[in-house]
Amino acid sequence: MAVRELRASWRRLILFFVCVAIGVGSIVILRSVIQNVKDILTKESKALLAADVVIRSNRPWSDSQRHAIETLLSKNVLIKSTETVDLATIVRPRNKVKISARTVELRAVDEGFPYYGDVEVKGLQRYTYLLLKGKGVLVRPELLVQLNVEVGEEIVIGNAPFTITGVIVSEPGRRIGLFSFGPRVFVHLNDLRGLGLLDTGSRARHRMLFRVPPSELDSFVTQLREEFREDFVRIRTYQDREDRIGSNFQKAENYLSLVGFVVVVLGGIGVWSVTRSFVQQKLKSISVLKCLGATTSQIITMYVIQAIFLGLTGSLLGVVIAFGIVVFVPENVVSVFGPISYGLTWSAIIQGFGIGVMVSLLFSFVPLFEIRHIKPLLLFRRAADDIKVDKTQRCVRERLVRSLLKIDWPRLTVIVAATTVLFAIASWQAASLESGFFVCGGLVGVALILNSVGALLIRVVAPLESLSWFPLRHAVMCLTRPGNQTRVILLAVGLGSFFIIGVRALQSNLLAELDLEQRSGDYDMVLLDIQADQLKPVNDFLLIHIEKPATMIPVTRARVVGVSGQEINLEDLEDVRGQGSLGRDYTVTYRGHLQENEEVVDGRFFNRGESS
Amino acid sequence: MIEIKNVSKTMTSGSEMLTVLQPLDLFVSSGKFLSVVGPSGSGKSTLLGLIAGLDAPTSGKIIIDGVDITTLSEDELAQLRGLKIGFVFQFFHLIPSLTALENVLVPLEIARKRDARDIAYDLLVDLDLVDRAHHLPSQLSGGEKQRVAIARALANAPPILLADEPTGNLDSTNSEHVADLLATINKKRLTTIVLVTHDLKLASEADIRLELLDGQVKSRYEK
Repeated sequence: MAVRELRASWRRLILFFVCVAIGVGSIVILRSVIQNVKDILTKESKALLAADVVIRSNRPWSDSQRHAIETLLSKNVLIKSTETVDLATIVRPRNKVKISARTVELRAVDEGFPYYGDVEVKGLQRYTYLLLKGKGVLVRPELLVQLNVEVGEEIVIGNAPFTITGVIVSEPGRRIGLFSFGPRVFVHLNDLRGLGLLDTGSRARHRMLFRVPPSELDSFVTQLREEFREDFVRIRTYQDREDRIGSNFQKAENYLSLVGFVVVVLGGIGVWSVTRSFVQQKLKSISVLKCLGATTSQIITMYVIQAIFLGLTGSLLGVVIAFGIVVFVPENVVSVFGPISYGLTWSAIIQGFGIGVMVSLLFSFVPLFEIRHIKPLLLFRRAADDIKVDKTQRCVRERLVRSLLKIDWPRLTVIVAATTVLFAIASWQAASLESGFFVCGGLVGVALILNSVGALLIRVVAPLESLSWFPLRHAVMCLTRPGNQTRVILLAVGLGSFFIIGVRALQSNLLAELDLEQRSGDYDMVLLDIQADQLKPVNDFLLIHIEKPATMIPVTRARVVGVSGQEINLEDLEDVRGQGSLGRDYTVTYRGHLQENEEVVDGRFFNRGESS
Repeated sequence: MIEIKNVSKTMTSGSEMLTVLQPLDLFVSSGKFLSVVGPSGSGKSTLLGLIAGLDAPTSGKIIIDGVDITTLSEDELAQLRGLKIGFVFQFFHLIPSLTALENVLVPLEIARKRDARDIAYDLLVDLDLVDRAHHLPSQLSGGEKQRVAIARALANAPPILLADEPTGNLDSTNSEHVADLLATINKKRLTTIVLVTHDLKLASEADIRLELLDGQVKSRYEK
């Protein structure tokens, strides 16, 4: 019966599945984009580390530490490891005629590096560590220009000459625009030892990189943390989301999910409106079915099956729409992650389908529940024509009691249940119970307000029915007659506006927040290590190119070595921990005034010349 | 068998209570043909709606095949209607989205009858509608629509057939055809028929003729 009804009614219900299709299409496309970007970000995160897990220390690995790592690796042969050492140093051409020297960021690597991402070498298909063997060195092109050297020539690093074997085009995890002390230089790890760059006082950063099967990652990291609990060792995995890209991406994901949900809810309102009109049109058919022996539950089931069919068809159409959009999305739409090949993901499709069918059911079930009240007697006459209630004859108390008795409790229960499921879907989509609560609370609140406004509007305009001007009289009658769509249309349009305004406001806030983050610390250029006697010449030079004098910030690095006469033993981890953050390195500055975003919360800010 | 014991119906109209059917007693044994006549507003359709269980009486009992239907729930009433009562309406009330055959199939499928398609098809053959089986109601004439409605009413072979002005929307030829059909159904199938009509000629065909006026029995004639 449901199929036959659907066959006959699909044209009238076309708006139903268009509403579902747009909502599902939005969810599928947004989710797919999010998941595609997430994949890219995961790869980017791995490439940033060039590994799954990295442990880092500012000191050379001790024998006991190496032994501990070897023991861990021997437990799982699938885990691979390699080593790097990073430090800033000065290089110069070996040819003494070319008098120049440059600070570089030297990275010494071993076989296996990198586990993720590629080191791209100019003119070569693939990077291989063999390029570095026998005191070979790979350099960035800008170093060639700065030192006036070419591939094949020698440069001196530390106390030994190295032959330039290639030019680095790109390396994993290092994007143009990032802050650095100088151009990147790659050497072999074995060659670094013995250069005199790792002696006492060296600022080298020692890294151990691990390639770990996904299933082993958590347990391996746990074991590492346990093993190096007492050491000055930092452990990072590609999953760490503490960096800004991860944080911004999370915000974008929540925002896009919410947009998808809002589009589905708007579609749901359309579904509700269409179903309500559909039931009104089907009054006689439903009455006939009841006359012919169909129970209310059978009839509701029949229309619910129709709603499921329509929901599935609409969802399918939504996926097709999403697929069509994917074809036309430019690859560089999210340029920060580089060109991305988009495609629909199965999880997004399944999620879209699920939500499409759920929303179809939720929003159609409430109006379908009205079928309970359709009396087959209307086939003989209009019951409403016969039974009229004179409300003016009743006292207020009696009217109140009658109003309470008239509350349709089963319908109210269905509405509450539908709202609860909607809340669950909203929370799921926004990945936050709080967001789900606010979205659904807003929906219910605005719906109640709009319903009241609709009722008020009908009351206010009702007296105009007595006017003699035909167009106005009939317009008012259309708004106030029994079965009018006034409140439904107000509700649909009002909720649509509410969601669109809400999403736009959220978008503005997010953009403002991102803009603020960018403005707070991002300069076009940072010059480092300007000595006191260089301040004036540098400023004079800069003023030729920029309008305002550059901001000069004096900095020095320092550690707290004691407080109130009690000294901290920096060699003893327990002692450092006992002092809390006092044991860390601080970048210290000094100036005679507070910045706009600073305030003294305790004590007193003192000026030059004063002393405590 | 239809038994009506002291049944009345009162409605509220504005601030007034309106009695549309005065207390009434009626007994129609199985296989009888009862016609109800009277002017508009005399209570004919109200009586029919009460017998069908579509409306609840203000007082009294209505017993259909030994079951007091005034005590049944909505769903129980629907099931009783599906199995024991067939309906023929003045305006046919076919489901517009279904073909003639599918309209006849509806009560059979609700009752989960086996061979529903064969039964429906046979009924259409009996009523000379076989070539219109796959037509929608909008493609049928008034007479054809009413014959499809009769076929649908007979689908579950109900012991009772309620007809509300079945010829009221038909021309004289089709009216006669429908009248003959009802008489045949009553005679051959031994179906109890309750017919509400303004057509006195059609009413005179019945075994019992009840005339209502202002909700009261004005006259009762039994052959």
